[in-house]
Amino acid sequence: MFPAPVPARLLAALGLVVSVAACSSTPATTATPDTFSVWDPYPQFTAESEWVKTIEKCGTEAGVKIQRQAYDTTDLTSKVLLAAQQRTAPQVLVVDNPVVSTLVEAGVLKANSDVGLDAAQVSPNLVAAGTVEGQTYGVPIGANTLALYYNKAVLAAAGVDPASVKDWDSLNAALAKVKAAGKKGITFSAIGTEEGTFQFLPWFWGAGGKLTDLPSGKAALELWKSWLDNGYAPNSVVNNTQTTSWQEFATGEYAFAENGTWQLGNAKKAGFEYGVIPVPGRTGGTAPAPTGGEFVTVPVQDNKDTEAKAGRIASCLTAPDKVLAADTALTYISAVPSVQQQQVSAQADLAVWVEAVKNAKGRTGDNLGTKYPKISQPLWGAVQAALTGAKAPEAALRDAQAAVK
Amino acid sequence: MRARLAGWAFLVPLVAYLVGCYAYPLFTNVDLSIRGYTVRSFVHGGAPLVGFANYAGVFGDPTFRTALVNTVLFTLVSLFFQYTIGLAAALFFARGFRLSATLRALFLVPWLLPLIVSASTWAWLLNSESGLVNAALKVVGLGPVNWLTSPDWSLVSVTIANIWIGIPFNLVVLYSGLQNIPREVHEASALDGASGWQTFWHVTFPLLRPVSAITLLLGLVYTLKVFDVIWIMTKGGPSGSSTTLATWSYELGFGNMLPRFGPSAAVGNVLILIAVVAGLLYIRLQRRQELA
Amino acid sequence: MRTAVGVLLTALMLFPVYWMINVSLTPLSDMRKAPSLIPVHPTTEGYEQVLREQMPYLGTSLLVALGTVVLTLALAAPAAYSLAKLRPAGRRALGFVLLVAQMIPGIIMALGFYGVYVKLGVTNTVWGLVLADSTIAVPFAVLILTSFMASVPDEVLQAATIDGAGPWRSFVSVVLPASRNGVVTAALFSFLWAWSDFLFAATLDSGGRLQPLTLGIYRYIGNNNQEWNSIMATAVVASVPATVLIVVAQRYVAAGVTSGAVKD
Repeated sequence: MFPAPVPARLLAALGLVVSVAACSSTPATTATPDTFSVWDPYPQFTAESEWVKTIEKCGTEAGVKIQRQAYDTTDLTSKVLLAAQQRTAPQVLVVDNPVVSTLVEAGVLKANSDVGLDAAQVSPNLVAAGTVEGQTYGVPIGANTLALYYNKAVLAAAGVDPASVKDWDSLNAALAKVKAAGKKGITFSAIGTEEGTFQFLPWFWGAGGKLTDLPSGKAALELWKSWLDNGYAPNSVVNNTQTTSWQEFATGEYAFAENGTWQLGNAKKAGFEYGVIPVPGRTGGTAPAPTGGEFVTVPVQDNKDTEAKAGRIASCLTAPDKVLAADTALTYISAVPSVQQQQVSAQADLAVWVEAVKNAKGRTGDNLGTKYPKISQPLWGAVQAALTGAKAPEAALRDAQAAVK
Repeated sequence: MRARLAGWAFLVPLVAYLVGCYAYPLFTNVDLSIRGYTVRSFVHGGAPLVGFANYAGVFGDPTFRTALVNTVLFTLVSLFFQYTIGLAAALFFARGFRLSATLRALFLVPWLLPLIVSASTWAWLLNSESGLVNAALKVVGLGPVNWLTSPDWSLVSVTIANIWIGIPFNLVVLYSGLQNIPREVHEASALDGASGWQTFWHVTFPLLRPVSAITLLLGLVYTLKVFDVIWIMTKGGPSGSSTTLATWSYELGFGNMLPRFGPSAAVGNVLILIAVVAGLLYIRLQRRQELA
Repeated sequence: MRTAVGVLLTALMLFPVYWMINVSLTPLSDMRKAPSLIPVHPTTEGYEQVLREQMPYLGTSLLVALGTVVLTLALAAPAAYSLAKLRPAGRRALGFVLLVAQMIPGIIMALGFYGVYVKLGVTNTVWGLVLADSTIAVPFAVLILTSFMASVPDEVLQAATIDGAGPWRSFVSVVLPASRNGVVTAALFSFLWAWSDFLFAATLDSGGRLQPLTLGIYRYIGNNNQEWNSIMATAVVASVPATVLIVVAQRYVAAGVTSGAVKD
C-alpha cells in the first residue's frame, strides 16, 4: 500500500500544514464518533432543503450529529475509494446504483443484514443493482428511468396518433410522417459516456439483446443508424448529453425525445403540450429501460456500533414516510410500491412512469456486477462508431464484444 | 561562502515546498503504474508489483496510437497558432494607440472564464444543428459541417477552441518581451532604411528569441496537459477521434464506473516523460545559444 | 485608425464571450433553436438566481485567489532572488525540477493532495485549497521572477552591499522594488489560475462550507439537468471583478520577461 504516513509526516515537519487541524473529516478511531458524515450526489440541495432536514432528523433519532456533504456524482466513486483507502469513508453514503457493485467488490460497503437495513419493501427489480452473490447492499432511495416524450402538436400536424406507436415499425412509420410534415423526428443522447449506453439500453434490450453477447442486439443499433441516415434524428445526437437532447426537444420542433423522469418539471415549462409513452420493444410491448437513481448504503467502519447506528440512519432515510419528500424533490419514482400509489394519486401523470419503473431493469443486474462497466464502455464506443459511419453496426458490436473479455 | 549559504537559505522554502507538494503525487503515480490494482486492492492494499505490464498494455492498445498522434497534432497546431496570433497581437498593441491598454486588457477576458464555461460556449457555437458557425456557413452558401460529431472534424474543433483559450497567455508574455527591447534598437534600424518587416525579421524577432523559447516551452507543457476543453466539448469522441493522452488517462481512471488506476497512471507518466524530453531539449538548445 | 482596427480585433476575440452573454439571457425553450445574434426574448431569470445564490461563492473565490497570490509570491520571490543574484550551486538542476513540476497533470496532483488531505483532515478548507492552487503558479512564478530579477544590474547590488546591506535587505529594498513589474505579472497569473481552477476545488473543497465560484456553477449542473442561463450568468458575474482587476493591473505590467528562465 502507499506509505501515506511518511509524506504526511514530512509535510507536517515542513510546517506547511501543522496549524490546519480542522475537523472536517472523521479521523480513523475505534470509538464511535459523535458526528456522522453523510455523502450524497445532490449538490443542488442546499442546507435549507427538505432533504438535508430529513438527514438531520434521522441523525437526531439515532442520537448523533450529522455533517452532510454533497459531491458531484461523476467523481463520487473515486472519492469514496480514496477515502476508504485512508479509512475515512463516510458513515452513510448515497451513491448511484450501478456503482454499488463496484464498491462491494472493493470491500467498501456493509451488507444490509450486518447493519440492520432491510430492502424487503422495495420492488425486486430495483434492488437487483445492489445485490451481489445473494447479499443486498443498501436500499434504493427511489428510481427513475427512460421513456419517450412526445410533442402533441407536432404529432397532430403530421397525422400521427401516439397510441399507434406500439413497436418499432409503427414508430418508424410515425417518424416518416413527421418528417414528411416538415418537422424533426426524434432526439436522444448517444454520447461517448455512460449516458450514451444508458439511452441505448431500452432499444438494445427491446431487440432481445443480451449484455453478455453484444451482437445479439444489433437490430437496435441498425435502428438508430437508420434514423440518422433517413434524417429522422439529428446528427448532433452523437455528442448530445441527455440535457442537450432535451433542449432540442424543448424547441418544439421535434416529435419525440427519449428522456428521463427528471425532465417532468422542465416539460411543464416547455410551453407546449406533451405526452409520454414507454419505449416500445422491437415487436411490441414495453422495452425494459435501465433504472437510474441512488442507493443509501453503509460503508465499512472501524467498529460495529458505528455501523449499526449508520444502519439506523440509512433505514430512516429510506423509510416510506420520509422517502416521499426526497423522491418528490428529485422527481424520482419511489422504490416502494405503496408510496408509488401515493405518488400517482397526488399526480396522475406519474402513472406512466410508475409503469416504466416496474418494467425497468438494473444495469448491473443479471449478476453482471462489476462486469457491467467493462461491457458498457465498449458498447458506447460501438454505438458511436456505427452512428458516425466508421463501422457497420454489426461489425462495431462484434469488435466491442471482442474488447470486453 | 556566506553568499552561497544565503543563496541556499533563500531557496529552502521553495525546495521544501517542491518536496512536500510535488514529490508525493508523483511518487503515487509511479507506484500506481507499476502495480496491478483492482478496486479491492486499491482500498485494502496488497496490489502485486507487475513491473511494466501496465505500460505494455497501454502501448499495445490501439487507442495509444490514435491518442499519441492526436496529442502531437493538437499540441503542435495549437502552439503554432497561439504563438503567431499572440505575437501578431503583441506587435500590434506594442505600437501604442488610444485605448490600446484597455483593449489589451480585454484580450485577457477569455482567461477569466472557467474552462467549463468557455468550452461549453464553443461547443454551443459549433453545434451541428443549432450552432452559429453552421448558420453562418449557410448564409455564405456552404453546407453544414459536423464539427463535433464527425470523426474528421472533432480534433479540429477542439484545437480551435484551445487556440482561442491560449492566445491571452502568449500575448501577455510576448508583449512584456517586446517592451523590454530598447526603443533605440528599432530607431537605429529605421535610420538604416529598413522596412517594418525587415526590422521585425532581422532585429525584433531575434531579440525576442529567449522570450519566445520560454513562451513556447511553457505553452507546450500546458497544452500537453489540456484535458478539460476536450472532455467538455467531445469527451474525446466521437469514437476516440479527439482522444489525447491526457483525456485517455482521465477516461481510464475516472470516465468509467470501474476505475483502472494502473493503466491510467501509466498514460499519465508517458505524458510527463514527453514533457521532460521537451524540457531537456530546451535546455540543450539554450546552452548551445549561450556558447554561440 | 489603429484604434478602429484594435476595437475590431478585440471584438472578434471576445465574440465567444458575447455569445456567452447572449446565452445567459436566453430562455430555456429557445436555446437550441436557430441561433440569433441578439436574445429575442431576453430573460433575466439566470441573473436573478445568480445574484440571489452566488454571492458567497464570489467572496470565497476572491479569498482563495488572493491567498494563492500571497503564498505564491512568498515562496517564489526569495527563491527567484537567490537563483538570479546569489547563484548557488545546483540552480540549473533546480530550474529543471521546476519545469518538470509544471508538467505533472493536474489530476495526478489533485489525487495526491486528496490522499494526504483526507489523512490530515484538511479537506474542504480554504487554506488547503490555497496550498493546492499555488502549485499551478509557483514554478511559473519562480521562472518568470528569476528572469526579471536577473536584469537588475549587479552594480546596484554591489553598491548596496558596500553600504552594509545583507542579502535580505538587498532583496527587500533593492531587488524587489526594481522588479515590480515581474511581481505584478506573477501575481496576475497566479490570481487568474486560482480564480478559474475547477479541478482542485472539485477534488479538495467540494464538501466544504466555503466554496469557490467554479463550484457554485456546478450547482446548476445537476446529475441530469443543466440550467444554462444560470451557468452563463454566473460566468458573466464572475468575470466582472476579475476584469476590473486585470485592467488595473495591466497598467503596471509595462516591462517584461527578459531572458530564458532556466538560464542562470
